[in-house]
Amino acid sequence: MSEALARTDPVSGLAFAGQGVTLSLAGPMARFSLRTRQPEALEQLLGIELPRKIGTSHDGAACLGPDEWLLRAPAGTTLAMGTGLPLAITEVSERSVCLIAEGARAAEVLAAGCPLDLDRFAVGRATRTVFETVEIVLLRTGDMRFEVEVWRSFAPWLSMALESAARPLR
Amino acid sequence: MSGFRLDQGGRVDRSRSISFSFDGVTYQGFAGDTLASALLANGVLLFGRSFKYHRPRGLLGAGSEEPNALVSVSRGPGRHTPNLRATAVEVYEGLTAKSQNRWPSLKTDLGAINDRLGMFLPAGFYNKTFMWPRSFWDKLYEPAIRRMAGLGEAPTQEDPDHYGAVYAHCDLLIVGAGPAGIDAALEASGTTKRVILIDEQDEPGGGALDDPALWSWLKESLKDLAAAPNVTVLSRTTAFGYYHDNFIGAVERLTDHQAELCSGPREKLWRIRAGEVILAQGAIERPLVFAGNDVPGVMLASAARTFLQRYGVVVGKSVALMAAHDSGWRDAFAHARAGVNVAAIIDVRATVDAELLADAEALGIAVRLAHSVTDVHGRLGVKGITVSPNGGSAESRIACDALLMAGGWTPSVHLWSHSKGSLAWDDALGAYVPDQPNEKVRCVGACSGKWNFGSGLVIDTLPTPRDQSRIKAFVDFQNDVTAKDIHLAVREGFKSIEHIKRYTTTGMATDQGKTSNLNGLQIASQALGRHVTEVGLTTFRPPYTPQTFGALAGHAQGDLFQPTRKTCIDGWAEEHGAVFELVAQWRRARYFPQGGEDMHAAVNRECRAVRSAVGIFDASTLGKIEVVGPDAAEFLNRMYTNPWKALEPGRCRYGLLLREDGFITDDGVSARLAPDRFHLTTTTGGAARVLNMMEDYLQTEWPELDVWLTSTTEQWAVIALQGPMARKVLEPLVEGIDLSPEMFPHMAIREGTICGVPTRLFRVSFTGELGFEINVPAAYGRALWERLMSAGAALGITPYGTEAMHVLRAEKGFIIVGQDTDGTVTPNDAGLDWAVGKKKPDFVGKRSLARPDIAAAGRKQLVGLLTDDPAVVLEEGAQIVADPAQAIPMTMIGHVTSSYWSEALGRSIALAMVEGGRQRMGEMLYVPMPDRVLRVRVSGMVFYDPEGVRLNV
Repeated sequence: MSEALARTDPVSGLAFAGQGVTLSLAGPMARFSLRTRQPEALEQLLGIELPRKIGTSHDGAACLGPDEWLLRAPAGTTLAMGTGLPLAITEVSERSVCLIAEGARAAEVLAAGCPLDLDRFAVGRATRTVFETVEIVLLRTGDMRFEVEVWRSFAPWLSMALESAARPLR
Repeated sequence: MSGFRLDQGGRVDRSRSISFSFDGVTYQGFAGDTLASALLANGVLLFGRSFKYHRPRGLLGAGSEEPNALVSVSRGPGRHTPNLRATAVEVYEGLTAKSQNRWPSLKTDLGAINDRLGMFLPAGFYNKTFMWPRSFWDKLYEPAIRRMAGLGEAPTQEDPDHYGAVYAHCDLLIVGAGPAGIDAALEASGTTKRVILIDEQDEPGGGALDDPALWSWLKESLKDLAAAPNVTVLSRTTAFGYYHDNFIGAVERLTDHQAELCSGPREKLWRIRAGEVILAQGAIERPLVFAGNDVPGVMLASAARTFLQRYGVVVGKSVALMAAHDSGWRDAFAHARAGVNVAAIIDVRATVDAELLADAEALGIAVRLAHSVTDVHGRLGVKGITVSPNGGSAESRIACDALLMAGGWTPSVHLWSHSKGSLAWDDALGAYVPDQPNEKVRCVGACSGKWNFGSGLVIDTLPTPRDQSRIKAFVDFQNDVTAKDIHLAVREGFKSIEHIKRYTTTGMATDQGKTSNLNGLQIASQALGRHVTEVGLTTFRPPYTPQTFGALAGHAQGDLFQPTRKTCIDGWAEEHGAVFELVAQWRRARYFPQGGEDMHAAVNRECRAVRSAVGIFDASTLGKIEVVGPDAAEFLNRMYTNPWKALEPGRCRYGLLLREDGFITDDGVSARLAPDRFHLTTTTGGAARVLNMMEDYLQTEWPELDVWLTSTTEQWAVIALQGPMARKVLEPLVEGIDLSPEMFPHMAIREGTICGVPTRLFRVSFTGELGFEINVPAAYGRALWERLMSAGAALGITPYGTEAMHVLRAEKGFIIVGQDTDGTVTPNDAGLDWAVGKKKPDFVGKRSLARPDIAAAGRKQLVGLLTDDPAVVLEEGAQIVADPAQAIPMTMIGHVTSSYWSEALGRSIALAMVEGGRQRMGEMLYVPMPDRVLRVRVSGMVFYDPEGVRLNV
């Protein structure tokens, strides 16, 4: 067995820094799509607590729909698959990458293409939305910090679009 | 007074002189001037030529309603903007503007011959005249008409500017920063509401800008608003459209008024979602309709007052007023008080307010009541007017160099109408006013119809002793529609304003009839002898004023136009000289030319490598859906045509997906990983559609099923290794999977690791060779590809692209949904009956397959075609006939869907849809081409290795 395979990311680590906003790429992490109509069964299986209110997150789990959660966990995390239970656990660790927008202008930069009312999008909120035509999952992880989950093939475009919105008006 | 600029007054900054040019002549203006006010100050009255008759035209208005003074502004390559209203163009140092629709010059325009031929150019003239011969239209009539009648020239170079866009949210959006809008904003400034106040002009104030008495109030109010942290004031911003749920589109102009080009965005698109909207759009004064009302120097009284009090510019040295409304009197008085000679006030009404008469007398202004202007003298500018008593024929002439018109006020209900608010007719105003809202919106100020401009008479055309059919009294100035044209339309039988509008084009110019709609309506109403409300009402639609395409496109230009999706292996392909093609949004490597190869040489080499050694192919774009849950097999059994419940874990199956109508919509090989877990694949272009369709069925038809769908297209990089040496390349790299044919047969899946990363390894083939599709987490795709390339180097591993993939699959008769099918092809048509479960009680599309015309004989069927001349490759899409000797148009019995040179067979091959195709095996058919007729023989679809021995090794 020769040396381990190297990872390739669709965008470089730091897309933009300056003018009150930093755009960067989060490190690798494990991601799972969790689906069920019986969240208790999932909680019991995984030993975690799932938020029940759509659009909120708790401890890495974001409730995206009535029967859907996105669980983000440290890279390498594995889960029981719950075979036979009325639920579905699908690993999607590499389906998306996470772009981080941080700084006083972070909300302004996102508002260039995201139709959500970010003033009313409190810390801890998480939702599936769009940036222009591209689907994203947006999480507010701090007053001036947003995380944007985007499918990897859309990441270069999104990164460019965010950078274009962040570019200072010279 | 020097020239037409007053010595003092106005809001222009007289300390900042600005030099600009119009039609090549350099003029001076002041900071704060518009192009219109600056040119007026220089005595320029002539701004353009009219659309149809090429009549000389000056300013009618002073704001964005201006129909006449359209100009083009150029500021370097690619920065050419036609059809700007001179009244809305701010002057800056070096501004270069040109008039439009004239040749060779504005003063001498050869097109003006149309004016004298006017009697031959009635409404509908072009439609009636240029009917025949049809062939003349494209080459002669249309280009000639376009040259003669037109607006400015569209820019031809790429726009070097960029444009911003933003979503904004507020609790209260106020459109229009006149006194009413500012009051509404002040009222909300003490609350916690987020307020946005937008205004189209270069400074907020609206009507207050024309009234020096309000300037100190304005200054204080704006200071208060600036200090209010919850209020955002946007100037130079036009709310152009009002959409559902209080969504308002607005464009902010950022750089067009600046002398220095800067690198920031030129304009910014604001997409505003508002809790509540207050419309304070104001009102626009109506012109009066009489002969000569379009001579340069005849303008709205309110516009003249704006030029006087806001810009310190007089529109003439001796002005007259033609009024049907009180407000014009006050505009005339303002002129008199500023030292301008007011030659006369003519009012069509017999009685007016005594106070107005007293003021006129005090100012020494001659008044003629119950009189009307019946003619205007001068062609390039007013030299005088003729007035007659209403109902009489006596004429008297009054010398003046400008004529003001006061026809009453039309509330601006544009955005209200966009929002689908209803309108009510107000007889006193002679206008429609907002009635019931359809959104959370209300109107304040003049646009609500409740502003006191004084009273007036609503009149369609001014009385004249002259023959109405021989005079040009303009209604729509921009589209050159006269009162006579509307009468003609009524005589020709048009009864609805919607039809009259389209026939005469009144209200259909770029100004959407801001100054003309109601006059047109009144004239039609009078001609039809029916009340205005019975004649109808045309609807305002976005945009309120013309906007640039750049602003609407926002940042969707260049690389940001739309995402180009690339796989994790795309970078390797690019570094190795791949030629790409777009498949849906994906960019895929089409072939990898080496050493100057053309496409055919490269594809032939790639095909040879797959058939003789091993090829490597990036299949990452394949759509993938993970179907998980206790009811997963049941769900797939209902979706796909073939049975899925008995498929053992570890095995794969070809799935065929129909729509409800029984036609093929997608296909792909899918694997059962566990009793409750499937890994589906779809076509590259079908991924999103298939997931949506499956979700739709799951959520609406079978919500009781415990199964969930997750798109995993991007989770996995997929590398296809195809060819007799494929196993040899793979064997040393894989752990935990026995690759032997006995343990890992064709159409199986195994999980294990490859080069240390987890893999879902499929043994499948889209080429007819021994083949594997290696799925690994996407981040490792590129590194694995490189590892495979070096591992297979000694065995002749060759990257191949989509073109070779197409050839290889066609040699085996594998269809591509969307190429060999077109949405009207059933499984039977495509020769895929084997993939339809005959014993299944139901599946999506099953019922449609039993419809009589789906089951009927003679449908087109997919077959192979072999050309008589093996070197000839048919054209895809070519039509097929049975008898080439028949007369044109021939009866076409089919068409070619796929056609390639097959390197393996040393000849061309093709697939085609042919009527009753499978009954025609061996039959000779014909493909007529422009230069010859090709003979083809109908064959089976599997051209290469029909026994499939190469697969099972």
